[in-house]
Parts: sequence; structure tokens; C-alpha cells
Amino acid sequence: MTPKNRRYNSIFIGFITLVIVALTVVLVLNFIRYTNRFAFSSDDTPYDRYYVMITDNPKSSFWQSVYKSALEAARESNDCLEMISDNLSRDYSVYELMEIATISGVDGIIVSADESEEMTELIDRAAANGIQVVTLYNDNSASSRLSYVGVSNYNLGKQYGELILKIAQEKKFTEDKIEVVIFADVNSADAAQNLMFTAVQETVDSENPEKRSIHPPIELTIYGVDTTSELSVEESIKTFLLKDRESLPEIVVCLNEMDTVAAYQTVVDYNEVGLVDILGYYDSEVILNGIERNVIYATISTDTEQMGRYSVNALTEYFEYGYTSQYFTSDISVITKDNVAQYMEEYEDEN
Amino acid sequence: MRTRFRNMSLQIKLTTISLMANLFVFFINIVLLAGINIMSRRIDTVYQANLQLNELSVSLNQVQDSMTEYLNAKTSDSLENYYRSTQIYSEQAEELSDVVTGRLLDRMEYSIRNMSEAYLDEVAQTIEAKRGRNVEKIRSHYEEATKLYGYISTYIYSLNNEQFKENSENYREMVSAFKGFEQGGNLILIAVIIVNALLILRLTANLISPLKILAGRADEVGKGNFDFEPLEEISKDEVGVVTKAFNQMVISIRDYVRQMRESAETERMLKEKELMMEAHLKDAQLKYLQAQINPHFLFNTLNAGAQLAMMEGADRTYEYVQVMAEFFRYNVKKGSKTVTIGEEIELVDNYIYILNVRFSGDILYEKEIDDSLVNVKMPSMILQPIVENCVNHGIRDMMGEGRIRMKVYRQDDKACISIEDNGIGMSPEMIEGLLNGTPVPGIVKKESNGIGMDNVIARLKLFVGEDDVFHIESEGEGKGTKFIMYLSTDCRETGDV
Repeated sequence: MTPKNRRYNSIFIGFITLVIVALTVVLVLNFIRYTNRFAFSSDDTPYDRYYVMITDNPKSSFWQSVYKSALEAARESNDCLEMISDNLSRDYSVYELMEIATISGVDGIIVSADESEEMTELIDRAAANGIQVVTLYNDNSASSRLSYVGVSNYNLGKQYGELILKIAQEKKFTEDKIEVVIFADVNSADAAQNLMFTAVQETVDSENPEKRSIHPPIELTIYGVDTTSELSVEESIKTFLLKDRESLPEIVVCLNEMDTVAAYQTVVDYNEVGLVDILGYYDSEVILNGIERNVIYATISTDTEQMGRYSVNALTEYFEYGYTSQYFTSDISVITKDNVAQYMEEYEDEN
Repeated sequence: MRTRFRNMSLQIKLTTISLMANLFVFFINIVLLAGINIMSRRIDTVYQANLQLNELSVSLNQVQDSMTEYLNAKTSDSLENYYRSTQIYSEQAEELSDVVTGRLLDRMEYSIRNMSEAYLDEVAQTIEAKRGRNVEKIRSHYEEATKLYGYISTYIYSLNNEQFKENSENYREMVSAFKGFEQGGNLILIAVIIVNALLILRLTANLISPLKILAGRADEVGKGNFDFEPLEEISKDEVGVVTKAFNQMVISIRDYVRQMRESAETERMLKEKELMMEAHLKDAQLKYLQAQINPHFLFNTLNAGAQLAMMEGADRTYEYVQVMAEFFRYNVKKGSKTVTIGEEIELVDNYIYILNVRFSGDILYEKEIDDSLVNVKMPSMILQPIVENCVNHGIRDMMGEGRIRMKVYRQDDKACISIEDNGIGMSPEMIEGLLNGTPVPGIVKKESNGIGMDNVIARLKLFVGEDDVFHIESEGEGKGTKFIMYLSTDCRETGDV
């Protein structure tokens, strides 16, 4: 073997050895990197502020939709938003969750409140601990909350009133009166609800006398729905709608998503389609389907995107500028058979 | 370093190579094991957080229990328990995350940490109230503390669940990664083993290649080829030593062979010279003898004697001299020519006649000739020397009548000539000696008279071209001797012998 060959030989040996060593090191490093990657897979960047959202019935698509947009808004300002009930193995009431949030040391709470004194106390206590509270959809006006984000209940009532009139004028009712039942929350007989009822009443009362003459008089009544638990809502509505066919109201007005779905389901299940017109609230897939099938006459939907965004923005604004507006009103829209197709398209696009 | 390696002994070289190969495998193994180690530690840590949470939960229970116990009994033991458990719990709670991140687990830890502070504060106030015996305060603080205790327990429980979910996911991925790593490791180990084998093959080939060259050269030397350049000494190991010795050996052998050749040449030259000297001496002797016995002179003289005898009317003398002249003329005429059997027999007849005159008819001569073979060719001066031998050695010294019988007969396709005497005979050793041309005791070579038997046998062999042409038979002392020659009947050889 010539010296030249020998040199090539040793170069070859060295090369092979290096390749093997490199392969091993690459394997080990890759492995370590790989295990690191999933050990800290979730995003662990610290956030500036920690907000929580507390609502009753958080799984409903209405609140999920609100939460989704609120979460986006929070992310934009590097804040953390969390629906705390999602992570807990027990179901706590809104009050308990308020308490937990308060002692957890969060920076802001977005709560679907009510006008109860207990809630006022809780909000005040949170505020005393330096936690800013934004009420969402349901206000607690007596408390020291930062802002209220929701729909204008007066407008809402007006819209329902107009829809009732529209039904009365369109359909040829032969009964001696048109009975309209509004499902209300029996647990929170608050000012907001009252305001809305007033608005409905006013709208109905202010109907053009000419038009009023073509249909039987409209009678508004309020039916208190038991909202103490998720199950009681459906049960309560079912009981009302099944009492007997003769005394069924001509129109029912539902003021939240759950009531709407429960009423819709009962009417379909017990073959009462055509006997009762449902005026619903919110635009979930089920409700849109109900409109398309002529079971739900119309629904009024709030812009949940706006609601979520406004609630987070209220907190962000406060933390950044030290003040913010007391009221944020989100838009409402009426969905009927005429425009339901457009909403369904939007809905499908989103999903 | 390269030179140093080349100068190591073969044993150390081989050991170094195998050591290096093993070290290589060892190193790779270490790296792989380190990877496995890291991994198993990771797997261990997966459930570490769960363990911590469980400990936290236990401590929380202890705080709550010790508080309740103190409220019930107000013993110093329970107070001590309370202080200790509070200490432990707050230490453990301190370790929880205090930042809000995108990780749900971090946020839950953050909540638990804050709630724990509130809880411990509430518990402390309860204890304080108990000391102050303010029953109303005790109740309200206790209720508050218990409520917080419930929240924290739920949180810890939920966090544990979440963590377990995440950990199970991690664990599954870890295990699958582990499997992948294991396979990768095995592949690398296999590759290392193969490469190692190749490296050892190459390195040992390097060591052995000079040996192969050496073996090839040794083979050539074995075949007698010494003409090549000395081998290069690549290394200074055992192979190098052998190569050096081999080179030395080849040079030595080459020198030795040259010396042998030279001495053989010298010896040959000396012998040649000696032979030439002898030939010259013989030549000189012959010339001298020729000068003395000029055949023509002798022949003419004898002719003159024959004529004189005829004139004097001495017929027997005439015949005798005539035969003698004939006998000598044969020598002169046919000295070195091929003759026929008939001519040879005639010479023998003449010779016997002369002898019988000389020794007054002592020899009884009988002939039995197959006439068809008379013209078969044979070298001259063959039969007469044999007969002379019979007379000189066989018959002369014996008592009684000497007899010589000559037979020419055909045997197979050979012409056979046998000459038989009834003389003293020969021993087997003598026969052997005569046939092989070696000196035999008892037979004195008489060079002065005629041609020796060895000469006769040699010429016959040359003529016929075979070894088996001349037989001597004798049954022992006093039983006579028989010489048999075998000649080819179709031999038309005419050249000089």
C-alpha cells in the first residue's frame, strides 16, 4: 500500500467515525429538543393582566360566542381571559365564582350579573380588593361596577313589541284576544327586565288605531321561569306549554337562548307547530333552523362579537387610561324567515 | 504519531485497533445511554407535579384539621400542630406559580396561591377569635375559612386533573419518543458495529499487506527467482523485521548460488584440461605404436613370408602366414566400420586358426550358423575380442580340452550370436562387474592386447541403441561361460561406431 493510499485510508476512517458520532449526537439532541417541545408545549408567555368571565350557563353557544370574541380582544392587548367555570370539576354558582375570582387575585372580572343585593355585595367586595368588575348582558346597577356592556333593554322591548304587532297584523286570528306571554326570569325581577316589558307594552299600545282594528286586542302577560338550575328552565317552560291546548297563548316571547331552544323543542316535540308563534332571542344554529322551519317566527340577536370585545375593552381602557365609559351598547338585529338564509350562511362560514 | 504507530509491535498495533474499536462503541453507547437517562428523568418528572399537588392537598387538610381541633379542644398540642401545618402549607404554596401565563396550569396555580393566602389569613383570624373567645367571630371566620378551604380543595383537585390529563398526554408522547429513540439507537449501534468491522478489516489489511507481499516473494524465491528489488520496509514491527531478514536472506542465497556456479565452472575447466592431456598422451602413444606396427608394412612382410613358404613348398606355413595376414588386414581395413556378421565370423575363424597353430590345436572350435543372418550388420571387432577373452580367461588356465562354440540364430525378430566356452566360468559378481564396466577383482585388464570387454559392450549398446543387448551366463566356477548378443535383423546401420 502506497503512502498516498494509506492517507486516503485514514481520511476515510476518520470521516466514517465522524459521521457516526455526528449521527448519534444529532439523534440525542433531536430527542432532547423533541421532549422539550412537548413538555412546554403550551404557551407560557406571561400576560399583563388576568381577567375572568363568569356567567350562568357558560356552555351555551351565546356565551361561548361572547367569550370567543372577548378572548380575541384580550389576546390583542396581551391580557389573559378565562371562563373559570370551564376548569373546575365542580359546578359553582355565579356568586361562588365571583367569590373565588375575588380571592384568586385576578385583575378584572366580567360577570353576567343580576340586580340582587348579594351580587352587589360581591361586586363591591371585589372592587374593594382592587378588582375591576364589568357587568355583561345583565347589569347590577347598584354596585360599584366599572361598566355595563349589553343591549339596550328598551330597544329590545320595542323590537319585540313591533314583532308582536307584525304577527297580529299578518295572521288572521279568530280568537277574541291575542295572548302574548313573555318568559321572564323569576329570580331576578330587576329594573332592566321591567324596562323591557314597559317598552313592549308601550309599543303594542301605540299601534296605529286603524291597524289595531283588524286584529283582536293583544294581551301581554309575564310568565316567571324558574332559573335556579339548568334543568329547571326547560322543565318550567315545558310545563307552561303543555298545560292544555285550548289555553295556549298565541305568541310566546323568549328573552334568552335557553328559553328559546326549550320552547322550540317543546313545540316541535308535542306537535304544537302553528298553534304558537315563538319570538326568540339569539341566533344559534338550532334557533336559525327553527326559523327556517317556520317554528320560530323571529329571533332578535345581539352582536355577541361586540359584546365580548366591549367588555374586555372596558377593562383594558380603564387599566390604560384610568377611566372608561359606564355603558357599552351592542347592536341588535331581527332575524325572520326573510333574512335567515343570510345568517345561516354566515354561521356556516364561521364554522 | 503515524510513524510512531508504524514502529509499534504487531501485538500492540492489534491491541490498539481493537481498543479503539471498543472505545468507539463504548463512546456511542455512553451517548445513547445519556439520552436514555435524560429521557427517563423526563418521564419521572412528568408526574412530579401531581405528587407536589397531592402533598399540597395533604397539608391543606392538616391546616383545616388542626384549626378545627384547636377550635374544639384548644390544647397547646393542637395549636402547635396548627402552627406547624400552616408553616408547611404556606411554604408549599410559595412554590406555586405567581405569574399569569397562557398555560392554564400556571393560572390555576396562581389562583390557588392567592386563595391560600386569603385562606391562611382567615384561619389565623379564626384562631385569634378563639383566643379572644368571641363566639360570633369564631363562627363567621370559621365558616369563611371552611368555604375557602372548599374552593381551594376543588381547585387543587381540578388542577390535579388537568395536570394528569396533560401529563398522560406527555407520558404517551414520551413513551413513543422513547421507542423512536430506542430504534434510532439500535440502528446507530448496528451501523457502528458494521463500520467497526470495516475499520478493523481495513486496518488489519494494512498490517497484513506487507506479509502478503512477503509471502508472494518467498514463493518466487522457492521457484528459484532471486532477481527482484529488495522489499521496502514499511514498518518497524515484526513484519518489518521479517521483511528485513528476508531481504538479507535473498541476498545471501543469491551470493551463495553465484559462488557455487563459479566453483563448478572452475572444476569443469580443470577436468577438461586433464582429459585433453590424456587424449593427447593417448594420441601420442598411438602414433608411436602405429609408427612401429605399420599395417601395410606388416601385411606386406607377411605376404612376402607366405610367398617364400609357397616357394619352399611349405603349404601349412603358407596357409598360416596367409591367415595371419588376413587377420591383420581385417584390422587395418575394417578398423572402425560396420561389418556383417559373416565378416566377423571369418575374423574369429582366422583368430582360432592362428591360436590353434600357436598352441598346436588345443582349442576345439564349433560353429552353428543360420546363413540367413550372415548379412546382418554389426560393429567391427566385437566377436574376436570376446573369443580372445574366452581363450585368455576361460580356457587357457584350465586342464583338459578347451572348447569354444559359436551360434548364430534367430530369436523373435532378433539375430542372436552366442559364444560359449567350457572354461573356468565366472561368478555373478564378476558378470555384474563386467557388464557395468566396474573393475572386478580377478580380472586383470590387459590393455596391451586387443580391445577390452567394456569397450565391446559399450559399442554394442551404442550400435543397437538399447541397454539390453549383451548377456553373460555362467553356472559357476568350472562350468564355462556363455556370451549372448542380440542384434536387430533389420539394422542397416552403416555409420561409424
